[in-house]
Amino acid sequence: MEKSLLKLDKGTTCTSWNYSGDRLASGSVDGTLAVFDSRHPASSSFACTSRTKVHEGSIVKIVWVPPGYGDAVACVCEDGTFSLWEELVEDSVPLQWKLCERFKSGSAKVLDVQFGVSPSSLKMVVASSNGYVKVYELMNPMELKNWQLQAEFQNVIDLVSPSSKALCSSASISWNPLRGEGQGSSFILGFSSDSPQLTSSKVWEYDQAHQRWLPVAELALPDDKGDWVYGVAWAPNIGRPYEVIAVATEKGISIWHLSLNVEVDGRLSVEKVASLSGHEGEVWQMEWDMSGMTLATTASDGSVKLWQSNLKGSWQEQATFVTT
Amino acid sequence: MPGATSDSAGGGALVPLSPETKRSPVYPLRHSVGPPVSPRVSVCWARGSSLRVSIFQQRSPPGGEGDAGGEVVEVKLNGGDGEISDAQWRRIAYGSMSPFAMLQSRRNSVSTLSRISPSPYHVDWWEFVMEYSKDINALLGGPESTPASVIEDPKTVLKKSEKPASLKAAWELMELFYVDKLSQAWLPERLVDWLADYDSLFSGSCATVHSKLVDFQNELINIQVIEDNPTYWEVIGSALAVGWLEIVVKLLHLHGSYQLDQLSSRETENGLVEAVAVLISKMPRMRLELGDGRLGECYKAKPDFIKAWEKWRSQITKLDCSAYWIQCHHLQTREGLKNLLQIMLGNTNSLSSATCHWLELYVSHFLYVRPFTVGLESMHGLAQKCIQLKPVPRSQKLMGLLLGILGENTEVVLAECSKEFGPWMVAHAIELMTAGSDEAESLLCEEQYDLGELSLQELHRLVYAQVLCSHAFTWQIAPVYLTSCMKQGMGLLEILLCKQPVQHNELLHKNLEICRLYELDDVSSHIMKIAGVHHWKHGRKGAGVFWLQQAQDEVRLHKIAQQLFASVGKSISDESFKQWEGLIELLGSESKTAGGLEFLHK
Repeated sequence: MEKSLLKLDKGTTCTSWNYSGDRLASGSVDGTLAVFDSRHPASSSFACTSRTKVHEGSIVKIVWVPPGYGDAVACVCEDGTFSLWEELVEDSVPLQWKLCERFKSGSAKVLDVQFGVSPSSLKMVVASSNGYVKVYELMNPMELKNWQLQAEFQNVIDLVSPSSKALCSSASISWNPLRGEGQGSSFILGFSSDSPQLTSSKVWEYDQAHQRWLPVAELALPDDKGDWVYGVAWAPNIGRPYEVIAVATEKGISIWHLSLNVEVDGRLSVEKVASLSGHEGEVWQMEWDMSGMTLATTASDGSVKLWQSNLKGSWQEQATFVTT
Repeated sequence: MPGATSDSAGGGALVPLSPETKRSPVYPLRHSVGPPVSPRVSVCWARGSSLRVSIFQQRSPPGGEGDAGGEVVEVKLNGGDGEISDAQWRRIAYGSMSPFAMLQSRRNSVSTLSRISPSPYHVDWWEFVMEYSKDINALLGGPESTPASVIEDPKTVLKKSEKPASLKAAWELMELFYVDKLSQAWLPERLVDWLADYDSLFSGSCATVHSKLVDFQNELINIQVIEDNPTYWEVIGSALAVGWLEIVVKLLHLHGSYQLDQLSSRETENGLVEAVAVLISKMPRMRLELGDGRLGECYKAKPDFIKAWEKWRSQITKLDCSAYWIQCHHLQTREGLKNLLQIMLGNTNSLSSATCHWLELYVSHFLYVRPFTVGLESMHGLAQKCIQLKPVPRSQKLMGLLLGILGENTEVVLAECSKEFGPWMVAHAIELMTAGSDEAESLLCEEQYDLGELSLQELHRLVYAQVLCSHAFTWQIAPVYLTSCMKQGMGLLEILLCKQPVQHNELLHKNLEICRLYELDDVSSHIMKIAGVHHWKHGRKGAGVFWLQQAQDEVRLHKIAQQLFASVGKSISDESFKQWEGLIELLGSESKTAGGLEFLHK
């Protein structure tokens, strides 16, 4: 059933596939970014085509920039900085991975970075250990150098801000995987933090009229608002009349339906439709398939689980894979 | 027995699980990463339903075991069927695409016509579905292997043939019950034929008449006096019970009394054998036709059949009571023949001991006990009775399907199809099921809120399309199935197209062709934009500009123009100036779409 695609370098800590699944970027403990390519779209043999030292310390996360902005990745490093690297041919210099921009967030560490395509531009959301979120906008679609800070806010839904000394150990961002160009942009964000107001997952939507980001929904039941969030994943929507979002907290994975209609108070109504238990330990990653019907999750128990809704709308574990 | 439904629908799961096994299956992920393996694994969906898993080695001191720090493996979910090879699956996938597309286009034109004027365009929809079904059936294997006798070698009782696929058997079963309106009156006889074709498929899970015959065939050359051998009489009885008349007659003709040197001394015995053989070959059958070389006599009308049936049975009874039996001194022959008469007379004990599993017993009841069984309800009742009399130790996949069909339980049929035969079967067989009954149609075509306002029919097409997407050789077929889903298929098609790599021109053109075919202009310009930026940034400036022009991406072209303008201002080497010059020429040919590049001509 399984087939080996490639061998990773020693010290590899993270991997990330590009949009089409024919390029893999891996990051390692010594700060090297390695890129693996398939020879042909139909082939499943991959070979390393470049190795670039991007940082002194370890890379902990790699995120591809959406296609249409070049072949580029953001490398989040253990020391809390992150940098953007792009594959380019410049003048007479042959193809190489080149640094576009290095970002530092003062004393706070960068925990997660995700890119979202809005109708007008490319946006980048950066969540940091102080509980703040920064939204950047790319000024020139042909160059990944020039980013403008569009907004900075904390992941809180009320006006009462938490203490400015909040400390977050992890953050998880997931953009609404838009289809049509006409839709507005939105993303969901949750933290693991000692500050309970910050932790719960909130959906943020860009209000074009007032040029600001607004929290439009909170995906946590009243008793669970302080639960640490380990991961969020917004499912692709190919035509459902509601959005589906998976949220992993210390209590397990929950599946939420998010209404598409705005209520009187400007919020979107939410409904928790399932609690998925089965993983032992912290959930690390959640990925939806391209139809948004199957959720794949990994956790500290070392297993991969697949979840699906049955025909009656009830979510169930479908299969587990364990490394031998 | 309505309502007697088996609960094997697995709660209606997409991948049905049996209710007893609440826990989902656990699969090992094989890899070659040396210990210690980090518990942290990373997953990513590739196109369709394949999952890529990165496995890392835990940080270890230098000089640790193994030379790799991890491995990426791809897991294909819905990874096919052991019975059918991958290449064969692809052949079926490609072959079934055009019958499917044809049926969809017919459905659209029929619904358009009936909207214009309902009455004069009354079309027998099932005939279209029948054509579709025949086309698909032809893909699933070669000509059926009927256990017919072969003339060349009198000792070859059973024709050796390729093992039929259970997929084909399942397809034919569904065609029989759901589509073929002509066979509705002859369902029992059609089941007899079906079992004759596919009895060998049950041999894996239990003994069958077919396997008995195969074993006997192998022994045959070593047997001296065949009529002394009890197995001889046993297999004749079994073959008769399931209606394989040609084999029975052929086997009877191997009886020693037919040998010229013995004919005179065993005249009465031979007469009895021949009388039974004649009776068997004259068996009245209520059916449309019998193929060439098939024994029995066809009756289309029930009254004619009843008359012939009564007459035939009275002849059997007469022979049974005849005085000649006393003069037959060969004990095995006498008892063997008498048993055959009991089978023909429908003695349930004889039928039960002659058959191996409930389906064979079921078919023998249609032939000799209840030839007038009509209607699914009574057929289902009889099936239940036969299961009680001859249970099988391990259920075979076709049995569950047949019971679902007989029980008129659409959900069970769907679940069996999905569980045993996979997404291809479900996506294609739903066409057969909806042709069969309004009840099934409303269940399968009705949008369900729990499924995100999808119908079951569309859901299963989407699931199948995703399986197609996971392979580089089959993703091009997926649009046919996706565009047949009014509700969400186009959404998935857009995602599929946007996930195709752009750097290979051949693939890019293929991709754009699909966009053009389905009028997906936005997707098309999105893809061209990606291609343009990719080429531009990878040093193929001309191709980059070309694709951005095609995408009419004014913003990006404007930025390129600004970049060029800035470069022109700088002092540049001769070589790169030549490059710019060429580029400007290229842009000049279509200055309108070049978007702000006109100034370069100044």
